[in-house]
Amino acid sequence: MGNLYHNKTAQWLVYAAFFIGLALIPSFVDDAFLLNQLATYGVYGMLALSISLCWGFGGILNLGQGIAFGLGAYGMAMTMQMQSQSESNPIPPFMLNNSLDALPWFWEPFSNTAAGLFLAIAVPTLFCAIFGGIMFRARVSGPFFAIMTLAMLSAFYTIILDRQPYTGGVNGITPPSALQIAGVEIDPYSSTAYLTVLGILVVATVVAKLITQSSFGLVTQAIRDDAERVRFLGYSVAGYETMIYTVSGMIAAFAGCCLVMLVQYVSPAQMDVSFSLSMVIWAAIGGRLSLLGSMCGAFLIMGAQSYLGDTFLATWLLILGGFFIIVVRFLPNGLASLLESALGLLASKPKTSAEPNGDAKPVPAE
Amino acid sequence: MPGLLEIHNLSKSFDATKVINDFSMEVVEGTLCCLVGPNGAGKTTTMDLVTGRIKPTSGKVIFAGEDITAKHEHVIARAGIGRKFQVPAVLRDLTVRQNLEVAYSRQTNPFWNLFKFRKAGLKEKLDEIATLGGLSGRLNERAGILSHGETQWLEISMVLMQEPRLLLMDEPIAGMTEGEIEKTARIFKDLRKTATLIVVEHDMGFVREIADVVTVMHMGSLLATGTISEIEADARVRDVYLGEKEAA
Amino acid sequence: MDIGSLLNALILGVSIASIWLIAALGLTIIYGAAGVINMAHGEFIMLGAYSSYMLQYYFGLPYLLCIPASFVIVAAVGLVLERGLIQYLYNRPLDTLLATYGVSLVLMQGVRLIFGSDPKYLAAPALFSSNISLGFASVSTFRVVILLVTALCVLGIWLLFYKTRFGVQVRAVMQNKEMAASFGINSSRIYMMTFALGAGLAGVAGSLFGVLAIVLPTMGASYVVQAFLMVVTGGGSLAGTVVASGVTGQLQSVFAFFSNDTFARFLIFVLIVVFLRFRPQGLFAQAGARR
Repeated sequence: MGNLYHNKTAQWLVYAAFFIGLALIPSFVDDAFLLNQLATYGVYGMLALSISLCWGFGGILNLGQGIAFGLGAYGMAMTMQMQSQSESNPIPPFMLNNSLDALPWFWEPFSNTAAGLFLAIAVPTLFCAIFGGIMFRARVSGPFFAIMTLAMLSAFYTIILDRQPYTGGVNGITPPSALQIAGVEIDPYSSTAYLTVLGILVVATVVAKLITQSSFGLVTQAIRDDAERVRFLGYSVAGYETMIYTVSGMIAAFAGCCLVMLVQYVSPAQMDVSFSLSMVIWAAIGGRLSLLGSMCGAFLIMGAQSYLGDTFLATWLLILGGFFIIVVRFLPNGLASLLESALGLLASKPKTSAEPNGDAKPVPAE
Repeated sequence: MPGLLEIHNLSKSFDATKVINDFSMEVVEGTLCCLVGPNGAGKTTTMDLVTGRIKPTSGKVIFAGEDITAKHEHVIARAGIGRKFQVPAVLRDLTVRQNLEVAYSRQTNPFWNLFKFRKAGLKEKLDEIATLGGLSGRLNERAGILSHGETQWLEISMVLMQEPRLLLMDEPIAGMTEGEIEKTARIFKDLRKTATLIVVEHDMGFVREIADVVTVMHMGSLLATGTISEIEADARVRDVYLGEKEAA
Repeated sequence: MDIGSLLNALILGVSIASIWLIAALGLTIIYGAAGVINMAHGEFIMLGAYSSYMLQYYFGLPYLLCIPASFVIVAAVGLVLERGLIQYLYNRPLDTLLATYGVSLVLMQGVRLIFGSDPKYLAAPALFSSNISLGFASVSTFRVVILLVTALCVLGIWLLFYKTRFGVQVRAVMQNKEMAASFGINSSRIYMMTFALGAGLAGVAGSLFGVLAIVLPTMGASYVVQAFLMVVTGGGSLAGTVVASGVTGQLQSVFAFFSNDTFARFLIFVLIVVFLRFRPQGLFAQAGARR
């Protein structure tokens, strides 16, 4: 029968159960702050998902996912900020404080909410397509690509910090009121906001999962294995790499939008190198070869950071770093691979029926 | 009649060393050409130049009337040239079935492949090739655990899945048993009905068995070309190559 | 435009270049010779600064002796790390990157636990805080010291790698580990030594940077990205890193002259990305063996 872990139907069932469980949370949680916090975990889940797609399946280690994430977040913050401006008061206060007396041209489109939201996704996606296209065509790959994303991330971080009149500099942007779409305000502490984020996470997961099961997904995994060999089969490796990198960036851009919707705040911290590296840690610990595993990794670590972080404040990074080293050294495919081995053991014994539980790994079909 | 593949005055230098020196050859459609020569004669480098892995310093490669010199690997592969590497290169983390599925590269566009979940005609082709390559029972195994001989067959099968017009086989029978070599010879002879082959091989017995034309390379240049009996009668070839072989 | 201040910028450029170079030197050796992407390099620099601080504050060691002492201490840390972790990860460059990032978190937090997160200061001899006047321009003496130490380190490495038996062995291992082994070279020992050497050089950089800026557990993070860029731009060779640091340091200074430091840094990063688009193998590529 084979390992249940690799059974596609079982995988979809586990995903469905997982998300139905998450969707039921608002009916049990009354605490609005807790709900808001759980919703931000959804954002981290999206980021881990995007890393898993790009790194786990595409083999492209991206240490600069904060670029797409941050650009999306800034796009959303600009849109929300402009919603608070009016005809008589068209310039955001932080610009006035920096003695800017006209709205910069690239802020103009954000006065229109639809255009602003569109740009919040389109700009980072386009950036990934261009940057990825350039790098992958030049056959920059592996650790070199990782370093390049790191450099690009630092460049963005620096420029946003530097251009304070246009970006709010180190203070970032703090839109005074919640996001309004078509006249309806999305209260960040409501179950509406939670379900919106969850909805986007579900859509992103389903899309990502379908991608991995498509012919595209198979070729991508082949490229991860041996890019050179795949070229001689007639596939444009750069095209595939650019595509998966861009899709992954787009998911991160959505995550950025969601975060700002939830916390009404953006700052260069979203583009900090250490934050982008934490995304990689989530996926690595959860299991980068599994979309669900990576998401669980994000929930697990961010949850632990919030709750244990207070108790072990001083040693938290020590624990996280140590745990990460152990995973890289002894469990390169993360916690999800433990489950895979466990189910594999069950499958190898005849006449054993295993329950599909925990997370599933979408890698090798069958 | 012009050949399916024409190589005109190809040269390639690495730094100051000329690896390929003014090499020309022509392969007629539907024939099997064996490329032989002592180690370092430039056989694999010629394959690299034809498939676009490295770019020539000068000279031209024409395939089916089209200039493919220095084009990208995937463009050349799409034009109809399939290649088996000297060191068998298969996708070790994927299953045998997935290896064959990837090699069945009818649609190569990344965007359209996003929406493709089932490939037309894949199953029949995969069954046929897997049977031919003796891999039917191993389809769900990871390619990385195959034996050396099986890996050779998997890579040959992958090239066959591509259905190329021209197949380049770099030392296909290395590590195969006597029986497998015979089978390979049979398959290659069969393939001539639908495709053209260039086979790099050291085993002269195998070459004698399958070759329509034998091209001998020496020091990056063409030494002789002709039927196997012509080559075996050629004194220069005897000097640089066959002589050595027989003596060894 | 004022020629004097432009010249001043050029001289400052040389100084910046030497800072970039000394920061990247250890990384070059570790990457170039052992193929390890050491994300903990910044924390090695930080350790160097704290070693110097510790020696100076608790043992009253003169600053100039702190520099070699930091080399020894951080090299020892590197040695332990190589034996305990890195040696299991050779040939998995991406995993070395990840694991060493974990190490960097541990080191950073460990130092924070021991020394606290308040800034520390390294005192250099009073002589170093003066300025040297060159007629139209003046430079701080300490920057000249950095330049000299950097030049000394580069010279030392060059001699070690190209003039000694050890260097021949390192280069043999770099080119072909199996072949080197068959000539009786213990590649595991070579890797260990190069890793420790690279770590030690980061320690030297740290004790210099500790005077230039304040000593903080997080100080390493700001050096690691630019150090990597120097190594990648240079192609992983010593000469490459020297040239890359020289050019970028100079450009940084010139750009900063026309705009500001932050914007100059942004421009440099973008230019490097563009450069690598056209020369992905860096300035001086090392011959890589492929199948």
